[in-house]
This record gives sequence, structure tokens and C-alpha cells, in this order.
Amino acid sequence: MHSKLKTNRNRRAFIQQGLQASLFFGVAPYIKAAPPARYRTALIGCGWWGMNVLHEAMAAKRAKVVGLCDVYERPMLASKDEVSQRTGEQPRCYKDYRDLLQRERPEVVIVATPDHWHALPCIEALKTGAHVYVEKPTSHTIGESRAMLHASRASDRAVQVGLHRRIGPHHLSGMQFLKSGKVGTIGMVKLFVTGGGGGPETPVGHTKPPTGMDWDMWCGPAPSRPYCRKLTPGGWRNFLDYANGTLGDWGVHWLDQLLWWSEETSPKTVYSTGGRPVLGPAIFNDKEGSTSDAPDTQTVSYAFENFTAVWEHRKYAGNAQEHHRIGAYFYGSKGVFHMGWRDGWTFYPKSKGEPVVHEDPSFDN
Amino acid sequence: MKKFNTTLIGILTCISTSTEASDWPMFRGPEHNGISKETSWRKTWPKTGPPKLWEASVGTGFSSMSVADGKLFTLGNQDKKDTVYALDAVSGKTLWTHVYESKIGAKFYEGGPGSTPTVDLGKVYVLSKWGDLFCLDGKQGHTVWQRQLEQEEGLRLPDWGFNGSPLVHGDHLILNVGGGGMAVDKKTGKTIWLSNDEESGYSTPLPFEIADKTYVALSSGNSFLAADPTTGSKIWEIKWPTRYGVNAADPIIVQNEVWVGSGYGKGHGLFKLNGAVAEVAWTNRELRTQQNAPVLLGGHLFGFDGNGGSRAPLKCIERKTGKVVWEESTFKYGSVAAADEQLIILSAQGELLIAPASPEGFLPTARAKVLNGKCWTVPVLSNGLIYVRNSKGRTICLDVRL
Repeated sequence: MHSKLKTNRNRRAFIQQGLQASLFFGVAPYIKAAPPARYRTALIGCGWWGMNVLHEAMAAKRAKVVGLCDVYERPMLASKDEVSQRTGEQPRCYKDYRDLLQRERPEVVIVATPDHWHALPCIEALKTGAHVYVEKPTSHTIGESRAMLHASRASDRAVQVGLHRRIGPHHLSGMQFLKSGKVGTIGMVKLFVTGGGGGPETPVGHTKPPTGMDWDMWCGPAPSRPYCRKLTPGGWRNFLDYANGTLGDWGVHWLDQLLWWSEETSPKTVYSTGGRPVLGPAIFNDKEGSTSDAPDTQTVSYAFENFTAVWEHRKYAGNAQEHHRIGAYFYGSKGVFHMGWRDGWTFYPKSKGEPVVHEDPSFDN
Repeated sequence: MKKFNTTLIGILTCISTSTEASDWPMFRGPEHNGISKETSWRKTWPKTGPPKLWEASVGTGFSSMSVADGKLFTLGNQDKKDTVYALDAVSGKTLWTHVYESKIGAKFYEGGPGSTPTVDLGKVYVLSKWGDLFCLDGKQGHTVWQRQLEQEEGLRLPDWGFNGSPLVHGDHLILNVGGGGMAVDKKTGKTIWLSNDEESGYSTPLPFEIADKTYVALSSGNSFLAADPTTGSKIWEIKWPTRYGVNAADPIIVQNEVWVGSGYGKGHGLFKLNGAVAEVAWTNRELRTQQNAPVLLGGHLFGFDGNGGSRAPLKCIERKTGKVVWEESTFKYGSVAAADEQLIILSAQGELLIAPASPEGFLPTARAKVLNGKCWTVPVLSNGLIYVRNSKGRTICLDVRL
């Protein structure tokens, strides 16, 4: 996907987002000489998504993978296997990102750890002279993001945030449609993720961490807690010590679409409410173990200068009659525009006589 | 690790679990290969499918069926309890049940038990997701002995719990528990050996012979390996790291060649044993077996390539080379058993198909939609009856007797 980034059209948007943007795997301005160089690249966080990003980097033939880092040996070994199968290269494996940065001196570092482990490796990588591709959300807290921004400005390196919905083909064409004025004056935007199983959440007991997982290091700068199988793989997104639930995961993508469309940087006021009325109170004790603790219900209203935006998520009550269960509705004077995921984008005109306009997605991540 | 002498590699033969001719006493059957010896059964049927003899609801899970002495055994979960069902194999009547507390363990799927009860000499052995191990009396269902392996042995559970079925070997019950298996005394449940506390894979222990000595192939989260069933000492190990530690499909061993495969994008490979060393013959990504192993017939592997919930074609692959002979891409995952050179296929969407196990192509002779919902459990043919189930526990008996 990154190979499609051949222009600087997104640069301004990324800068507005708060982080200095550049384009590593495409034709960036500082690499004009032929044959194109291959950048010494390292991946910190060898999970499913980190490997997706690294696969794209390898596919662009601009990355020489020199190092892999994870606090859990198993996915790291699986990743090493994938890299060597694909490229014949044998990247070295590290449990501690500081060792990787010191010994390999990568030129490009991809940070794809859980959210609470974004800031420190990103800042450290910049200090050792690497460019950084950091997955969304930029970090777990606003303070961490500010520190990352400070570090990126203090360096002459580039930081790109993994908001791949800025380059998805249907997002590009949909955004062009939105900005063409065909939706009219947009007064309200609704960002939403709905549906899922219902009923109270059952806790899972605290157990020994998996073999080869350094649990202390996994918790790292965030609060330490006993291991529970709900946390890995991927489950940490719903534990507020390590991530910010649905709003901090899916919400980032849709909020970013909003900022991209509006060219705004922040709302004037924000109000939010929510809880766990369906999943039930979070459980955390030695006898029963743990449930997740992120809200199953959350609404946010954002007041911008010229429009209002609302976020809504509920992890239940999927409505089969509802055509779109995820995405962003832009409500305009000429109709309703929906930017979606696997359902592409669709414009529903106000007047009955006019045709619905639709475009399918060309990838489904 | 016990050093393995190269001269020991001789002819390997399949090891049958002694039983009535057409019984299916454990997962993958008496020959541990997913292939039934039955030849007299109906390979065609009308559009509506073969006649349905009975149906039952056995609770959520992916446990397959074992059949012995006229009884069918399977497992399911409801209301935070697992139930072991003993049903009359022909009438479907419930003969007895055995119920124990068990969380459903839904983690990115419906959860419920994944292992299949194993029948041996009138006893039924059951291993739960969470390490509850039972020896039950086959006639009445009363508990002969029981254990809680996770707590008693301080084991690390794999992410989706234990899903391999027990294997009876002499007086031992071999379990894919721990990083290199475990054996207990089948009469008492007492531990005979335990490899370590690490995460197991999800395959069922597979017996194989080299020079008249029996070994057992197991899986961990990072490898496939073989152990001496008497002592537990490791004989060889094939490093096979997978992203989520899901080595679930049983290996297939022919003489000194070991086939292994895994899903989540991993692929499959053939390894040649040279003493304790497993040398790679080939590996590729053409058969990413997430759960069920393929069947091997006439030098060809027939199985599903890909994960449940995705486009996962049925493929025919030459075992010696790993080359794809044909693929049927209309499938979205499923499982395969075989009998009399015919594939018995259950698609993940509940269509049952019969097709010759031929490298010439996929030419089904019969097909019918027999179930709804998610069907990841491999079908079973025993005594002219085909048994299929879905994840919610709907179990159907179809009559293909001549």
C-alpha cells in the first residue's frame, strides 16, 4: 500500500495531525539517485499488524530487514521465518528494542507494539537517527504524544503515523467526492462502530504468562498486572492500562477522516459519556481473574467552528437492517455521504429522483 | 535428548487401534489417518441428501465423534458446563451423559471443547479445554478416575486450551499436553511422564513405528516432535514456529518422511528423518492447514488451504514434491475424511460432498446441504452412517448404508 504513496499530497494532512510526515517506501524527495537504496529496516512489535506493515515495506523492495524485536519470542520467530522465506535475509531478533537500536543502527524503524509501548521506542529510535513509522494511535496518552512530537521536531528525521485509511483507494475517491460540494453544506458528522455479542463478560483466570513472553517487559511503562489470556493476542485493546478501547482503536481512523475532510486540527469543546451497561462492571481479582475494562458504550460530541461531530460505539445490538455498521456519515444539505470499510463509500441524495452513488473498496484492511 | 540411531529407521507401518471392523474409536479413526476401511456404502444420493436417521443437540464446540460398540461419543458446552454424550449410534437415543463445570472459552470464535472422546476396551477418555481429564465407564458413564492437569501439574495452557484427543498406547494414555506431551496410566490416571509446563500445540498424538518400535508424534506451539511413549524422551523435533502457536493438524508420517502443516499463512512441508535430524525436503504455502489435517491417498494430500472464515480452497497436492495438482476454489474452508478412495467433505457452510480422491480433478458424485451455521468439525463415517455437526452442536446422522 505504501508503494502507492508517490506524491506528497498527504503531507499537509499529516503535519496537521501533529506529526512530521514523510514517505518511506515510495519515492521520497531525499532519495533521487538510482538504483534506489534499500533502507536498513527494523520492526519493533512482531504481531499481525506489524508484519502487515513490514510485508508492504518488503514488497516495495526498499527495505532490508535487519532486526526484529518483540518481548514474546513466538511471534518474533514466526516473523523471522516469514522474512527469510520471502527475502532470504536473516534479521537478528531482540527482546529489548534498545539493544536492537544500538547494534543494528536501523535507518527506518516500524513501531507496531501495543499502544502503551509506542512512545519510548519511537523517541529512542529518533535519537539513534532512524526515521520512524509508528502505528496509530500515536500513543496511549496525550503527554506521550507531545513527547514524541517534541522528539521528532528536535531531530531531522521523519515520523509517519500508520493511518493507512489516508491512502486507501476508496477513501481517496470518497474524500474527493466529499470535497467536490456534491454533498452540499455539511453540518454534522457521525462516526460510529456498532454491533457485536451481548451479555455480561466472563472473567478469565490469572495464569503464568506464555513460554517465551517477558511479561514484565510487556507491561513496560504501563501498570504491571498478573497475566491473563484475555490480554494477548490483541485483547489488550480493551484494557485501559494499555490502550483506549474502541475509540482509541477504530475511533482514530474515523476521527482522522473527519480532520482530513474538514482540515481542522481540533474541536473547541469535547463531551463524552459511556460505560459498561452490557458487559458489566470490570472484574479484577485473584479468585475470578480479569475481564476487560474498556467501555462497551461510548458517545462523544465534538463542537467545531462550522459543524458538529459525534462519536458512537456500542459493542452489542448489531442491527441486521442497518446497512452500515461502521464508518462516518457526513450529513449535508444535498444528502448523506457514508465513508465505510468493506462497504466502500456511498452517497444517498436528498431527493428521491437522483441516483445513489457508490464505490466498492479495493482492499479490506 | 535421547540420541536416535540412523540404523533404526526401517519400515514404518500404520498402527491400528484394535476394534470392530468399522468402528471409529477416536479422532481420525482406527488408523489415525482420517480414512475409513469401509467400502460398502452409498456414494450417491438425491439432491435432498442421504436419509436422515436422527439429529441431536450436543452443545457448542468442535469435538468430532467417536463410534464404538454401537455407541457414539462427543462433547459440547452449554451453561458453563461441558457434557460428554453417549448416544446410540443408530437411533441417536441418549444412553448417558457426564457433565462437568467448564467455561466456554470463546476467543475469536464460539469456543467449547475441541477434543474428541477416545474409546478403548470399554472405557471413554476425555480431555477438556482446561485440562480436566476423565476416564469414564463406556456402559454407564460413571467416573473411573478424573484429574485436573492444569492445576495439578502447573501447566501453561495454550491460547485456545487443549484440543488434541487422548491416544491409548498399551497401558498409557498419551496426551498432547505440555511442550512435548504427557503420559498417564490409563488405569489410574497417575502421571508417568510429563515433558514440561510449556504450551502444547493442538494436534492429537499420532503413533508411528520405526524398526518395530513405536513412537508418538506431538506438537508444541513452536514445533512438531516425536517422543518415546514409554519415557517421554524426545526423539526428533521439527522447528515449526507459527504466529499464534497453532500447530493443530496432525502430521502424516510415511516411512521416514514427516508431513506437517499449519494455518495463519504458514504453509506445509515434508521433512526426511535422518536420525534425530529432520531435513527439509520441501516447504511451501500451498496447504495452510489451520485445523484439520488432509488425508493422504495414492501419494496425494487432499485438504483445505486457509483459515476458517476465509476463501480456503480444497487442494490436491503431490506429497513427494509439494506441488499442487488441482484446486477447487469454490470452497470457503471445510474438512475432509475418506473411505474407499472417496473423499467425504464437509464444507464450512454445511454442504456434504462425495468425490473420488483423484489427481485427475475434483468431480463430486454427490452433494447436499445438510447443516447450517459454522461446520469446522470433520465428518465421520462408521458402519454405513455419516455423522456431521456444527459449532452450535447440531449433530446429524445420515444413512448411506447399501
